Amino acid sequence: MQSTAPRSRLRTILRVGAPLLLVAVLAGCLLPPEPRTEAGRSVFNLYLLLLGLAAVVFVGVEGFILYAIFRYRRKPGDDVLPEQHHGNNLIEVIWTAIPSVIVLVLFVFSMLSLAEVEARVEGDEGVSIQVEGFQWSWRFIYEDEGVAITGTAAEPPEMVVPVGEPVVLTLTALDVNHAFYVPDFLIKRDLIDFGEHREDNELRFTVTEAGTYAGQCAEFCGTAHADMTFTVRALERAEYDAHLAAIAEGEEPPEPVTGECAETIEISADNLSFDIDEFEVPAETEFCIEFENRENLPHNVSIYTAAGEDLFIGEFLNQAGNITYLVPALPAGEHTFVCDAHPNMVGDVIVTSD
Amino acid sequence: MATTTLEPRAGTYRQSWVLDWLTTVDHKKIGILYILNSFLFFFAAGILALLIRAELAVPGLQFTDYDTYNQAFTMHGTIMIFLFIVPVLAGFGNYIVPLQLGAPDMAFPRINALSFWLLPLGGGLIFSGYLFGGAAAEGWTMYTPLSNAPYARNVGTDLWIIGLTLVGTASILGAVNFIATIFKMRAPGMTLFRMPIFVWTILVTATLILLATPVLTAGLIALFIDRNYGGSFFDPSVGGNPILWQHIFWFFGHPEVYIVILPAMGVVSEVLPVFSRKPLFGYKAFVFATIAIGLLSFSVWAHHMFTTGAVFLPFFAFMTTLIAIPTGVKMFNWLGTLWRGKLMLTTPMLFALGFLSMFLIGGISGVMLGQPPFDFHVQDTYFVVAHLHYVFFGGSVFGVFAATYYWFPKMTGRRLNEPLGKIHFWIHFIGFNLAFFPMHQLGLDGMPRRIADYDPNAGWTLLNFVSTIGAFMIAVSIIPFLINVVATFINGERVGDDPWEANTLEWATSSPPPPHNFDRLPPIHSERPLFFLTHGHGHPAERPEDLVEEELVDEKPGDIEERPEDLV
Repeated sequence: MQSTAPRSRLRTILRVGAPLLLVAVLAGCLLPPEPRTEAGRSVFNLYLLLLGLAAVVFVGVEGFILYAIFRYRRKPGDDVLPEQHHGNNLIEVIWTAIPSVIVLVLFVFSMLSLAEVEARVEGDEGVSIQVEGFQWSWRFIYEDEGVAITGTAAEPPEMVVPVGEPVVLTLTALDVNHAFYVPDFLIKRDLIDFGEHREDNELRFTVTEAGTYAGQCAEFCGTAHADMTFTVRALERAEYDAHLAAIAEGEEPPEPVTGECAETIEISADNLSFDIDEFEVPAETEFCIEFENRENLPHNVSIYTAAGEDLFIGEFLNQAGNITYLVPALPAGEHTFVCDAHPNMVGDVIVTSD
Repeated sequence: MATTTLEPRAGTYRQSWVLDWLTTVDHKKIGILYILNSFLFFFAAGILALLIRAELAVPGLQFTDYDTYNQAFTMHGTIMIFLFIVPVLAGFGNYIVPLQLGAPDMAFPRINALSFWLLPLGGGLIFSGYLFGGAAAEGWTMYTPLSNAPYARNVGTDLWIIGLTLVGTASILGAVNFIATIFKMRAPGMTLFRMPIFVWTILVTATLILLATPVLTAGLIALFIDRNYGGSFFDPSVGGNPILWQHIFWFFGHPEVYIVILPAMGVVSEVLPVFSRKPLFGYKAFVFATIAIGLLSFSVWAHHMFTTGAVFLPFFAFMTTLIAIPTGVKMFNWLGTLWRGKLMLTTPMLFALGFLSMFLIGGISGVMLGQPPFDFHVQDTYFVVAHLHYVFFGGSVFGVFAATYYWFPKMTGRRLNEPLGKIHFWIHFIGFNLAFFPMHQLGLDGMPRRIADYDPNAGWTLLNFVSTIGAFMIAVSIIPFLINVVATFINGERVGDDPWEANTLEWATSSPPPPHNFDRLPPIHSERPLFFLTHGHGHPAERPEDLVEEELVDEKPGDIEERPEDLV
């Protein structure tokens, strides 16, 4: 007995200490990204409080479990019953009261944080952007500037916002539910078509630091949910204005395409499929596609090589409508046309080189 | 008369054992059928989990395409929750509750058989989507409008709805049966506050099922009408409300969380006292805490909807945070049970202690998620996935394994091999933490759930890879478990009727019990009738009030040799 005692004490220290050390290391890592919005800063601070309380509870309870395992282990051959404690009402009251106090304090801090996150600056509505989510990309509409940035799953859109100014997003779902989420901002909000039952959701934030931040749809929205990404680029006010102006310039309607097409292909989309399986065009010749979207879902026509290289990306029609694409000359061979929002909508493009 | 009719009529006719099991109305056989059926679904859903983890190990699409992946996580969640955790605990309830009550069977044996047989049927329908162009792929939460026409036109979704309606119906029937059994079939002397704690948790669970599951079933039927008969419950373009589905689903879905955790808590509350050689600390406080959790569970559903912008945040945050109090009381009572006990680290005890330490983490992250501002960041990220697995897997599934190792000797007369059991536990425990702990960080970093692929530059690769290793370790840990079960069943150590020196009535009959369960019942003066029997009257440690009742009620213990007439 004498000789084993120190060894078992060492073992106990190791067994208890090692997990505690692990916890300390892990707790150091368990942090969200450095917040880049004012609301995010408030969320981050609340999380630090939560993490601190969690660490205390975790170490306390797990520590007691480990202590009990080593301290109260039954020794072989020990058949004497331990004292039969059935409980103690005073202790029950105490350990009901302690978590009650903890959670009430927590709730107060949580509500204070919520008030900060939801705070709005009266009289300064800031930059207003309408965000439309659809399967599987986004459109960011700057109504005042007359700019709309539409993305595709393959080419995610970029939202530009000014640094240090409140931004108000109006979140509209064109089909199923989506969620606007930028991890660096530490906030998200769902895009839901409430019909006549509610107004569209709003999300308010003020970005505190210039930079480009990755964002992604967080509410599962169907097949290509994983591709529904975007970026938010926070720019100083002057750069922001210049950027939007440039986009507005670039968005001048393209030259009307009339009579210059060597060939015109008609394609329509309905019921999540194209009406044709294949079409044939001569090589090294520009041609036109008259595309008709017959349903209120986003569709486009893009052309890719067999290897997946893009030859032409058509602009999206997010609702029923018509568009004429001017397609540049294509190399001879067999290519694929596809709707970028619906990978199942495909057909063959045969480019003949006579 | 009472005794003769209970004798099995073995000599009068013969039937094959297959037919016997297919037509049985014996709660013990039905319980075993429940458990076997649930484990089959567990393995199927586990294989889907491995597919998911394999796909996420590194960026890019290696094993699945988007649709296969979406079907995999939808089926994984649905099967694990509705066809594994709920039924396997119902199976243990089926087997154990009548025995713990000293009853010969459930109150409605044929309804009991019906509620079991609906499960393979419903589960089969849910899975059969794979045969008809793909299973449901909208997530186990089936949010509208995504699950509604025209966005999900697959037959798999309809089969999912029909199958789940059957499973829900099975659950409701089972709940009615449990409640009737517990209120009407208790042995003489077993007052409500002498019921084993496992029975209490099953009672509260059954009540939750009875109140919550019909809401889901109604919602499923509404969704089916929307999809197939031009209904407009959830379609905003014709005046429906898509958020209504979320309310319906979570009004069921949050009590559902307690439906799967309460019986596991009950198992742990049976195992800890037995292997600490002490009574459960604060039995009544524990019962009240269980009831409190059951009541509160109906007022917190919208905490799943904080980011919808359509719910009143302070109310639901407050109610959610309140649940931490009864849960904390339970945790303290478990710790109080360990305190100054004499702990025996058998495999069931290891799984019960594993439950305490893992469920704690799930509970803590649950309180965090209940705070709306923090939820705004991590809702629909891997933080939620980590949280729910620490509750469902670290909690309920650890409880299921504790129950399996604990009650296997009762069901077969043979004890599962302890060294193999410990190997199972440790690989399982380490694998579980490797698989799910890193997900907390992934969620904090902003990785959304339900994505088949992620950006290699996002910094999520290492933790995903670790998580995948952990998932495969869990799968490996199942191998010694299966070997153990099969080998023990064929040629295991025979350990008699009461190998654990346990406290409750199921150990007062033979292992396995006869069809009528008990030839004789011991007197019942506390929630530990067997302890009382073993350690004699007037043990100094037993409560004084029990001793008083002892003298009043149990004048001639020999009277209880025959089953009391009123029980038959």
